[in-house]
Amino acid sequence: MLKIITGTIVGLVLGALIALGVASQMAGSMMFQERVSPFTVEETVARIQQNILAAGNGWALFGLRYPARPVEAEGGNVLPVMLIEACSVKYSGPILKDDKVRFLSLLMPCKIAVYKKSDGKVYIGIMNAGLIGKLFGSMVGETMADVVRDQEKFLVMDPTKPAPPMVIPKVGEGGGGGAGGSAGGC
Amino acid sequence: MTLRQLLAAGMLCAAALVQTAVLAADIPSLGDKLPPHKSTADHSKFKELDKVFKTGPEVTKACLACHNDAAKQVQHTKHWTWEVIDPKTGQKLGKKNIINNFCTSTVSNEKDCMACHAGYGWEDKTFDFSKEESVDCLVCHDSTGTYRKLPGDAGHPIYVRKEFPAGSGKFVEPVDLQKVAQGVAMPTRTNCGTCHFFGAGGDGTKHGDLDSSLRNPPKFLDVHMDAKGLNFSCVNCHKTSQHQVAGSRYELAASRTGKPQPQGKVDDNPASCQSCHGDKPHKESLLHAERLNTHTDTLACQTCHIPEYSRGSVGTEKVWDWSTATKMGPDGKPVLKKDSIGRRAFDSKKGDFVWDSYLKPEYRWFNGKVAFTTRGDKIDPTKTVEINHPEGKPNEPGARIWPFKVHRGKQAYDPELKNLLVVHTAGEDHTALWHNFDWPKAITTGMETAGLPWSGKYDFVSTEMSWPIAHMVAPKGDAVPCAQCHQAEGRLAGIDGIWLPGVHKNELIDTVGWLAAALALIGTLIHGIVRLCVPCRKPRSKA
Repeated sequence: MLKIITGTIVGLVLGALIALGVASQMAGSMMFQERVSPFTVEETVARIQQNILAAGNGWALFGLRYPARPVEAEGGNVLPVMLIEACSVKYSGPILKDDKVRFLSLLMPCKIAVYKKSDGKVYIGIMNAGLIGKLFGSMVGETMADVVRDQEKFLVMDPTKPAPPMVIPKVGEGGGGGAGGSAGGC
Repeated sequence: MTLRQLLAAGMLCAAALVQTAVLAADIPSLGDKLPPHKSTADHSKFKELDKVFKTGPEVTKACLACHNDAAKQVQHTKHWTWEVIDPKTGQKLGKKNIINNFCTSTVSNEKDCMACHAGYGWEDKTFDFSKEESVDCLVCHDSTGTYRKLPGDAGHPIYVRKEFPAGSGKFVEPVDLQKVAQGVAMPTRTNCGTCHFFGAGGDGTKHGDLDSSLRNPPKFLDVHMDAKGLNFSCVNCHKTSQHQVAGSRYELAASRTGKPQPQGKVDDNPASCQSCHGDKPHKESLLHAERLNTHTDTLACQTCHIPEYSRGSVGTEKVWDWSTATKMGPDGKPVLKKDSIGRRAFDSKKGDFVWDSYLKPEYRWFNGKVAFTTRGDKIDPTKTVEINHPEGKPNEPGARIWPFKVHRGKQAYDPELKNLLVVHTAGEDHTALWHNFDWPKAITTGMETAGLPWSGKYDFVSTEMSWPIAHMVAPKGDAVPCAQCHQAEGRLAGIDGIWLPGVHKNELIDTVGWLAAALALIGTLIHGIVRLCVPCRKPRSKA
């Protein structure tokens, strides 16, 4: 009997440890996703921006940030990174009105990163808003599911269409390599 | 020492101090009177330059009144002749002779191309290369930043207000030649950049490591030209003697060995990294430095210290495809399309373009010599035509692995005679491609002017041109990390003649190593089994 109980406990602990190990290994890829873009950094940004502006549902460009700039200002080199910020009042409003989940304003505005890696390829990095949403109740979960649907539309790029111009917000040039504050939805 | 001697010494010291104080008081303070310019001559005070100049050659005549050998010196440089004779092959090179991968040939297009000639009036082959007043002093020595030469004027500056580009509604004011002449100075990055940043018709188009971001560069972009740091101008490295500028890509030393050359000493290649840094420049921890210094026998400094080129907002042109030139828009009119940040993407006059920035160089063995495909040379249209081919092979003395920008494109060629075609592109005459969009007419004029036969047929062939990368040197902490080369499919994948730990293997050494490891494991196992199987000996009883 003692052997069975001991075996069960050891099995459970071992199982939990393995599950934790697997989860910790996979957490990064579950929370964040990246995909390769066939275009240059600037063209990728411009195409995503164009899609955001055409998406409806209250989406607006909130800013464009250059996280590499502060590093460059200190004399260091990093490959180009651009951060597109977009927001929709349709989705942000309900979350911001609910005291229990207002802290999720930390995740606003929505961000899409476009960056080059040392393999020379351009990547698009996005947050798995759907997964995060599921952690905070049904209202947030449903809202984030809608965000994910729209986000997928942002990333559809038709190479047969000409490159649109990149939208560079004209106001709010600030710290952190930021250039933010166009007509924002948040 | 006696007391008397001590007193005498003390009095002498006191007298010396008093004398020094008196002398110092006699010297007037000149600090606030120091002229603002670095030169020993204030050109604004010369009566030769205190007049209204109507043309560039008039200014040159005034310059030559004092600098009487300057024009002769310039006339012996590539900046004037646009011609280089390859000492090995006798091949005539230089802009006058080669076909490049951008605007292709200067022949029949001189009026436009000569906006970058250090001279006035080169319109066609009748140009007099001996005429001293045709030398343009101002393009290199202007310090006002107002001197400007436009395509179409055969190297002359703007004399009358002009719409440029034609039909754009933008106007360029004439140059105040008197102001420019009175403000001459040593060349700056801006002077050299007038042509070398904007070659091939646009900012960053040609080189990849030279663009207008280097006018006032931050440290991350180039440690030497860092405007707030060392602030080197081009001539700090491209040292000039009798107007001969060192470090041309036509006579590039791919390697230089030995210690650094002290400043002021004559160096055969002052534009090399090793000229200042020597060939064993790494000084950090002994073992690591030694390891890095052995790399200098194989790699050019630039290979590690320029991790990416075109690191900035300007970008560089990667592809120029002439085969789509003359395609019109739906309304039958010429079209100009731009990419996402405003660079040319398609032009009915010129074809398609592809741009990018932060580009990883392509690496090749290079011994400093470059073989060119020139006008009339036979080509194999089934393969990509190398407009220039960097020569060099593994273990060749003087050859190193260098980083290159490889610019790719498509150019017109003669499918029967199998050579690249000279195309008359620029100009307002009825045969110029950019005027009437007619390939056969433009090729006829181009080939006739070049004195070459043409079968009457044309097609397009893939071409590429290699540009050694030597500028945009990153801070040392940003050099290419070891692992980017020492891994399978790393940066140096495909380069022959090198042994890369982490990539290459030796079967014999690997087998011996694995055998040793296996034997050690077997030995350990046997030892363990023996220990398990043989009962432990009981400690002997003292009794």
